[in-house]
Amino acid sequence: MISTGPFFLDQIFFIVFPYVAVIIFLLVSIRRYRTEAFTFSSLSSQFLENKQHFWGLVPFHFGIITILLGHVIAFLFPREVLAWNSVPLRLYILEASAFIAALLTLIGLGALIFRRVTDPKVKKVTSWADWVVFASFVVQILSGIYVAIFHSWGSSWFASLAAPYLWSLVTLSPDITYVTAMPWMVKLHIVSAWLMIAFAPFTRLVHILVAPNPYFWRKPQVVRWYSLLRNRV
Amino acid sequence: MPQHLIERSNVFPKNKLLAGMIVFLLVPPMQLVAQDPATDYRQNCMSCHTIGGGRLTGPDLKDVTKRKDGTWLAKFLVDPKAVIDSGDPYARQLVEESRGVIMPTLPGMTPQRAQSLLDLIDAESKLEKSQFQGVKLSERPFTPEDIVVGQRLFVGTAKLKNGGPACNSCHNVHGLSGFGGGGLAPDLTTVMERYGGRKTLSTWLTAPATPTMQSVFKPHPLDPEEVLPLVAYFQSTLQRNPEDPSTARLNFVLVGLAGALLVLALFDLIWNNRLKSVRRALVREKRLEAVHE
Repeated sequence: MISTGPFFLDQIFFIVFPYVAVIIFLLVSIRRYRTEAFTFSSLSSQFLENKQHFWGLVPFHFGIITILLGHVIAFLFPREVLAWNSVPLRLYILEASAFIAALLTLIGLGALIFRRVTDPKVKKVTSWADWVVFASFVVQILSGIYVAIFHSWGSSWFASLAAPYLWSLVTLSPDITYVTAMPWMVKLHIVSAWLMIAFAPFTRLVHILVAPNPYFWRKPQVVRWYSLLRNRV
Repeated sequence: MPQHLIERSNVFPKNKLLAGMIVFLLVPPMQLVAQDPATDYRQNCMSCHTIGGGRLTGPDLKDVTKRKDGTWLAKFLVDPKAVIDSGDPYARQLVEESRGVIMPTLPGMTPQRAQSLLDLIDAESKLEKSQFQGVKLSERPFTPEDIVVGQRLFVGTAKLKNGGPACNSCHNVHGLSGFGGGGLAPDLTTVMERYGGRKTLSTWLTAPATPTMQSVFKPHPLDPEEVLPLVAYFQSTLQRNPEDPSTARLNFVLVGLAGALLVLALFDLIWNNRLKSVRRALVREKRLEAVHE
């Protein structure tokens, strides 16, 4: 059981949070997909405004997908990542690339938030859930960028510390010694990640689960717009 | 897509969610592995303390229970930082004698486990020669070759034999080329001075005892053949000043910013004409038609 003492809070944050988050994520996602399938989308507002949207959406998604993929790769192949990083130049190339992706994510997020606030049509369709998503991304991305600059080199220590911590959760034998002595900004980054996973199924983030990947290889389609003619018919 | 659906939706009934959480909490998540005190001592204490071999980073523990009562010692073992922060004069004195190095708090240290460690220390103190009198380390003088090997181990170009990650994953030493070493953990430029010299630092490195170092290096310990060149390297870096200006971090940020701008320019180049030729043209055409009708 959870023991009291100096590591009580760490046990809540790094053992209870992740399991509760994953359970909520799975159960609520399935439930929502089965009962309210039509809400299972990104709730795109591209039709309402698509010029500013480009400069938010494109950098944000290129950035976040690269970053997330980086975390997953370091989780699945920690030894290989360490082997790659054993030459300082390669380490620096990897870290700089990841940092560029993080900055793109931040720039994209900034543009998206600006658009939400300034465009009247888009503002109209913005719900409280969208603001929860934006706020959690702001915390997550800023803490990640802070860690990348001031607590480097994340790609190496993720492989040595975060990967075994995550695996200890997967194998149901949680070991928090990897994270208890981490700087608080790293802890914030981890805890806010668990919170995001828990909130995701209640928000538009569920579109991650139904991303239309076939768009990558299907033929282009032209969508014609003729609503202005409708009045005449 | 109707936004209000999300706000109003009763996505998951509360009672079922609660049931799920309770089931989870019934599963004991923390594994507290009981281990025998000698192993415990070897893994967690030996890097800083001897029993009858003189002080290392921490004091020699021979007859420690005669110097201070058992209740105080057990309390200190469970959470050293809390006792130090409480302003306890003896704890403060210990920190001073250790040159400011604070004894790490061990996850899973209970009063019972602390007591069995104290019993072990008591028993070992009575022996003429304790098995924990100290690690045998080579005392041969450092060569310039050692320093080179040490630096290669530090930055990772020479692999650590037992598979541990290179020091620069988390630590920096002033004057490294490129973007420098890591910033997660303390800068090691003057670590030899902080830890009180060759013997203490070498012993510490054979079984690092801070929580993060321990979790990484317990399964992949440093080889004695690696400790010597690393310590030689740390001796050589003592001449550098960690406070001297370094542009490594700034360079990293600038390269990142430049790279991000470059990628944005690339996006513009690739998709500059998107929607212009077909969709926006069609919309414009229809608008004009509507106006002319």
